[in-house]
Amino acid sequence: MAASWITPPTRTELIEGLVSGVDRYNPSNVSILEDYLYHQIRSEEYDCLANLAILKLYQFNPELYNPDVVINILIKSLTSTPLPDFNLCISLLDERPINSTLDEPDPLPALLPILKNLHNLLYRCRFPAFWQYYNSRELETLRDNYTVECAGFENAIRSVAIRAVKATFTRITFERLGLYLNLEGGSLELYIKELGWIRDSSNGVITVPPNPDNQIEATVVQENIKLPQIAKIIAHSALKV
Amino acid sequence: MTPNRIALWAAEADIEEDVDLSLAIGNYGQNGHYDDAHIQQPQIDESAFLTMQQHMAQQAAFAQIPDVVKGFIVHFHQAVLENNLAEITVAYESGWNKYTEKFYARTEWPEAEIIAPLVNDDPIFLILYRELYYRHVYSRLQPNIDDRFHSYENSCELFNYLLNSDGPVPLELPEQWLWDIIDEFIYQFQVFCTWRSKVKPKTEDELVMLSEGGPVWSSYSVLNVLYSLIQKSRINEYIVAQQQGKSAEEITEIVGEYGQRPLYRMLGYFSIIGLLRVHVLLGDFTLALKVMDNVELNQKSSFTRVTACHVTTYYYVGFCYMMLRRYSDAIRTFITILNFIMRMRQYHTRSYQYDQISKTADRMYALFAMCNALSPSRLDDNISNIAKERFGEQISKMSRADPDALTAFEELFLYACPKFITANPPPYEDPAAIALILSPPSPSDSPSQGSAPHIDPTHRHLNLFLADVAAMSPVPTLRSFLKLYTSLGAKKLANFLDADEEEMVQELMMMKQSSRSLSRISGNEKGLLDGQSIPTSDLDFVIDENMVHIAESTVGRRYAWWFIKNTERAQRIFDDLKGMPLPAPSKQNRPTLASTATPSGPVATAEPGKRKVAWGSVKAV
Repeated sequence: MAASWITPPTRTELIEGLVSGVDRYNPSNVSILEDYLYHQIRSEEYDCLANLAILKLYQFNPELYNPDVVINILIKSLTSTPLPDFNLCISLLDERPINSTLDEPDPLPALLPILKNLHNLLYRCRFPAFWQYYNSRELETLRDNYTVECAGFENAIRSVAIRAVKATFTRITFERLGLYLNLEGGSLELYIKELGWIRDSSNGVITVPPNPDNQIEATVVQENIKLPQIAKIIAHSALKV
Repeated sequence: MTPNRIALWAAEADIEEDVDLSLAIGNYGQNGHYDDAHIQQPQIDESAFLTMQQHMAQQAAFAQIPDVVKGFIVHFHQAVLENNLAEITVAYESGWNKYTEKFYARTEWPEAEIIAPLVNDDPIFLILYRELYYRHVYSRLQPNIDDRFHSYENSCELFNYLLNSDGPVPLELPEQWLWDIIDEFIYQFQVFCTWRSKVKPKTEDELVMLSEGGPVWSSYSVLNVLYSLIQKSRINEYIVAQQQGKSAEEITEIVGEYGQRPLYRMLGYFSIIGLLRVHVLLGDFTLALKVMDNVELNQKSSFTRVTACHVTTYYYVGFCYMMLRRYSDAIRTFITILNFIMRMRQYHTRSYQYDQISKTADRMYALFAMCNALSPSRLDDNISNIAKERFGEQISKMSRADPDALTAFEELFLYACPKFITANPPPYEDPAAIALILSPPSPSDSPSQGSAPHIDPTHRHLNLFLADVAAMSPVPTLRSFLKLYTSLGAKKLANFLDADEEEMVQELMMMKQSSRSLSRISGNEKGLLDGQSIPTSDLDFVIDENMVHIAESTVGRRYAWWFIKNTERAQRIFDDLKGMPLPAPSKQNRPTLASTATPSGPVATAEPGKRKVAWGSVKAV
């Protein structure tokens, strides 16, 4: 799980070199990483560490700062909640002087609180509220200018909800799942079918396939002594003989 | 210059009380002032006069240096020239501190230019001397802007000498000093950034100097030094080769002419830890852990000899885990090092280090308390109890759904977090922008852009952390109800809580989510960022449509662990007893050892045993 987050299988060797090497500090590499971000946005890929490398370059070289890139990075990072990616990105956004040398007004200050709200709702599993807020008039700019470009954004958010549902439920009602996914009727049925989940035709309740998180068991954790733990004692005794 | 010199200042402790300091220094100082006051400014060539005056001032300053300090410096220089590690260590760890306490507790040491004649103007020694000089200024006094700039220049000179000479330099320094060099370099960088970010109380001169400062203490230059040391020493290759069990010859081959010298190897390793720290200060918690990829966190490595470094490492790694929401990893990190500190306590009384270590330990107890409130565990009751002793009030607030819980988290976070910095200075090179910051037009000017009051980096991280904490605030209450049942209808639970059923179900999802965390539990992970998802809570539940089913896990008593620990302890005592000398010869040795040890322990009087070892090793060399 963590391994594919640290090194996504889709990351190219060139990017890997930038993420893991000293070249990540070279400002002239920023366009390579920015292109990679737009590639992620088009092809439903995600590479948190590469995107953090962009923010790192912005942090050190304020003149490189591109608000659209930052917003896209933040949008992408929403989709990996509850991993802390969104916070990690925000952590690198240093306070910048008011009169940054930008041709147009900086859209980030206005969008940042909105993105933070979205993240907060997702992190707290307030999925119905998330969809309501996301589809509200207030967020029109974000939808029309940014998330529309981000391929599969809504489905990626649905995956966040699905991860939470999978861990918490053994069975869930059709309506409730619909609220979480912002889907209803046929499109919800289709979605469930694609997941491979089964819907009971009599009462409409969906069975969530068993997985390690929704199988609970009351256990007594017994200690389990392994050889290395008593190696010292044995070694000590062996010397005596 | 002769071996006699040792006696001069080493044995000087006997006469410590005889020297009347105020008299010795006062004579020179007062005369100087007195004369100055009565000399009329003669109308002669200004610059010649200034030079002359400077010269005289230097001579006067030189004359003011107590003879014992002169002797100390000469001896110190000699030890460095001879690469005599034992002597350097004694001069560095006790001599310097001793004379600081005695003569320079509230003033600077003599400037390097003034003591230069004592050391034949040896440039290398003067750089090292300035390193100590500025460190003293930073720790005891208030550095002014010149100190800040010059200490940077001096650090650059030192690293230039180490990195850009023809081949590795033939210098040897104690490991502790090498660590202190890197540690201090980053500390001064952090202090400078913090100072620089405050535009308000700056004088005109300071503003001018900052606008022309250029790369002084820039993030790039600091990172450059650390990465250069890492690359030059090939420390990562060294660590990997060691882990692969390569032979000494193979390792020598791999690490090259620099890496085989202890000076470079240790500087390389310390630079990795330094990078860890710098990245945390800049808020890059993943990169911080990534630079540690090759370093194995354990107590066995030879790099753990410098305790301060070892403790720093765990503090920053643990903090990163906390910010990555990996509370269980953070807890395990803190427990490991806090136990280590407790065990090492008896060996660390050298004041200048021990203070720092125990302060860091206190902050780690606070971090531990926060992580433990967010992800309760019973890994180590001993550490939990100490944390409760220190932060009992906050802990009880944090573990309940107390309205003050957030305040308690905030309090502990601000107390225990690193001193975060901003990577870039305010726009000092742009006087207009600075003027704008100094006197903003009006607060209600533009609510849309940058309306939020200026947020310093610490509060930015604090707010992120508190948002996570606030999200988890329903957990303690939910938990306390769930604990009472094995199954329970969602509606009934919502009634108990006086909450909306649907919202409560979502809270349950959040609770479930936060009871899973990435963790390096298996020990097979590559690097500190790696991990697998594991359950971190003893209370587990699942929702079947509208029915909540609950299962609680308990930890059986760990009898075997207890016996193993006690057997090992008994074996250790037994070995120690066996290893002790027979009573008869030790009786004869005692008096002689004690007589040399007691009077020569001016600083660490509390631990005469420690001194004995230090002096013993010097004599042996």
